[in-house]
Amino acid sequence: MSAFFDAVHYDGQSAVKRTVEVQVIGQQFYLLETERRSGPFAFADVAYVTKQGEADVYGLDGRDGWRLTLSGPVPSELTALLPAPRKYGGWVDRLGLGKAAIAFTLTSAAAIAVVLFSPQWLAPLIPDSVDDRLGDALVGDFGGRFCHMPAGDAALNKLVASLDDAPQDLRVEVANIDMLNAVALPGGNVILFDGLLKQARTPDEVAGVLAHEIGHVRQKHVMQALLRQMGLAVVLGGVDDNSGAVVNNILAMSYSRNAEAEADAHSMKVMGNANISPVGTASFFDRLSRLDGSAGTLKDNAGITGYLSSHPLSVARKDAFEKSIVKGKNYKPALTPAEWTELKTMCTQDRKVKSGLGFDFN
Amino acid sequence: MNDEPLQPHSAFRFHGSWQEFARIAFPNLLLTIVTLGIYRFWATTREREYLWGKTEFIDERLEWTGRGIELFVGFVFAFLLIGLPFIVIQLVSQGLIFQGAPVLAGLLTFAMFLSLFYLTGVAYFRALRYRLSRTYWRGIRGGSDDPGFQYGLAYMWKTVLGWLPIFLMVPWAMISLWNDRWNAMSFGPHRFNANAEWTPLMKRYLLFYLVPFVILIGGAILGFSMAASGDMADVLGGTGMAIGAIVAIVALLSGYLIIPLVALIFYSKYFRLAVGGLRLHTLEFEFRARAVDWVLFFLANMVIIICTLGIGYIFMPYRNWKFLFDHMEAYGEINVNELTQSETVVTKHGEGLLDAFDVGAI
Repeated sequence: MSAFFDAVHYDGQSAVKRTVEVQVIGQQFYLLETERRSGPFAFADVAYVTKQGEADVYGLDGRDGWRLTLSGPVPSELTALLPAPRKYGGWVDRLGLGKAAIAFTLTSAAAIAVVLFSPQWLAPLIPDSVDDRLGDALVGDFGGRFCHMPAGDAALNKLVASLDDAPQDLRVEVANIDMLNAVALPGGNVILFDGLLKQARTPDEVAGVLAHEIGHVRQKHVMQALLRQMGLAVVLGGVDDNSGAVVNNILAMSYSRNAEAEADAHSMKVMGNANISPVGTASFFDRLSRLDGSAGTLKDNAGITGYLSSHPLSVARKDAFEKSIVKGKNYKPALTPAEWTELKTMCTQDRKVKSGLGFDFN
Repeated sequence: MNDEPLQPHSAFRFHGSWQEFARIAFPNLLLTIVTLGIYRFWATTREREYLWGKTEFIDERLEWTGRGIELFVGFVFAFLLIGLPFIVIQLVSQGLIFQGAPVLAGLLTFAMFLSLFYLTGVAYFRALRYRLSRTYWRGIRGGSDDPGFQYGLAYMWKTVLGWLPIFLMVPWAMISLWNDRWNAMSFGPHRFNANAEWTPLMKRYLLFYLVPFVILIGGAILGFSMAASGDMADVLGGTGMAIGAIVAIVALLSGYLIIPLVALIFYSKYFRLAVGGLRLHTLEFEFRARAVDWVLFFLANMVIIICTLGIGYIFMPYRNWKFLFDHMEAYGEINVNELTQSETVVTKHGEGLLDAFDVGAI
């Protein structure tokens, strides 16, 4: 059986345009010119290339630039042997645009959900050795900015021991940096900045903040945040940089708000166990709220800023700590006055510690 | 064959319409959003298939044979080879700052910047090579056997040399790099020959270079004369206010309009010279858009984007391509028997590097 069709052909060897007849014989075909016959070519090797106006253009596997252009109505005998035209590409063509869009939306949502929720389960599976090494790499000796004096160290150790059952896997340090802050880092590293100690009026306030940071360590928040950020960076890697970063930050922030609340809860619990009053921490947040301006804002506004900021508003935290006060309970101060003075002045006393000046966190 | 009027003087003709392009661009936008950006590689490919296929050179349409998967693989490569190491380097240098080794961190960051600089040059080169190797005309394609690593070095030293004499040699660097790039490219068996000159570009460049100073001095003079006429404010009444408003408007315009417009005037000359210096065997090229065409094109783009609240942005590839080929011209003869297939290597991955650095256009 053989049939003939007219077509335009380039052989891929030269740019000469050839008008040919396609002679179909079974699963193969020949291209016939006045004085030339090429082939046989197998239909199995024919690939769809593109649409040129109304004409479909086909190529041949393994023959660079080989083209066969069929214009006008192509007989159905031939269409049946040729590969299907491609519009969007594989999956979308098979499903259709609407279904493909829905399928992609679901897949994307699932990918984001996995990235957001899996760190909670994955973080505890990361071996401690990895966590420790990461902490060492990040913190090290902090450029010699950690303050150490025998009496101050003893006071700090006492404070940590009263707030945690396994203080040996924590590494709590005071850094000679004048910032009102404290951070939890991988490998059980907790850093209290000297500015925070200077601002605090009682050891109970420091205990509250320290317990909060220990809460982050114990709940594996640091590793979770790290995994979540890495996952989001990969999933949102395809989105253009600016909008990707905005989405990333909003998603990550809502999770870190949860983490802050969990760390606060941890702080209240261990302080209760250690018989340390949460009053100091509450008043500390009260003073902070005047600094961050949240005290004066309306409730509605506070809701918005509270949602978009990574730390719960100081006012809300103050309220929470105040509520955790148990009336009539016999609270003890976290440190004796002498210990508190040693801890507070440790960085001033330490002559060997490097200056925190020029340290830029951002 | 075509229902459009023949333009016997133009070797390049573009037959596309924005309505047809919209039927590609809008589904592309949808699919890109629901795949968190991953579809954009296939989106780009579909747009190129359309634009190339609607562009006629002499008597045959161009053909884009690049695949979305190639661009995707290129992007993944770029992420693994550049993105990931850079994230690690950033982490390490942050750790180094923490640990008090800012000099080492600075050196590391500088090395990172240098390699980015180098890779940007390589990326420009490889993007052009990729595009030529996927562009077919009458079954014949272009390409290059040069991997572009040398070009990366040339890109570095020529760019720096262009900046050194208070940025006065930038036109030389631009033209010289254009020539370097195109001299390494070929189409079919023929090498491109690029010998554009840079000296005719200097007048326009000096205009662009001096405009900010002129605006500054003009503003100062106007402000001064206004201050001098301050005594007459009562007499002039509203005139003083009007002059103040005019000064403010001129200042605003200069920032957002005048400087970009002068840059366009320079760029129009650059592109005309660059294309004008290009030859392919017996073919010569010319780009006929004058400064006023570029300015009108630019303003129309702004209007389209603003009036559509940004959605018009998806038509920019169409507008750019149409502008390019509406003004592109070629002279000379082509012997189609001599125009044989290119023997250059075909890389399997697309413009990943360039994509990673977010630069585009030929």
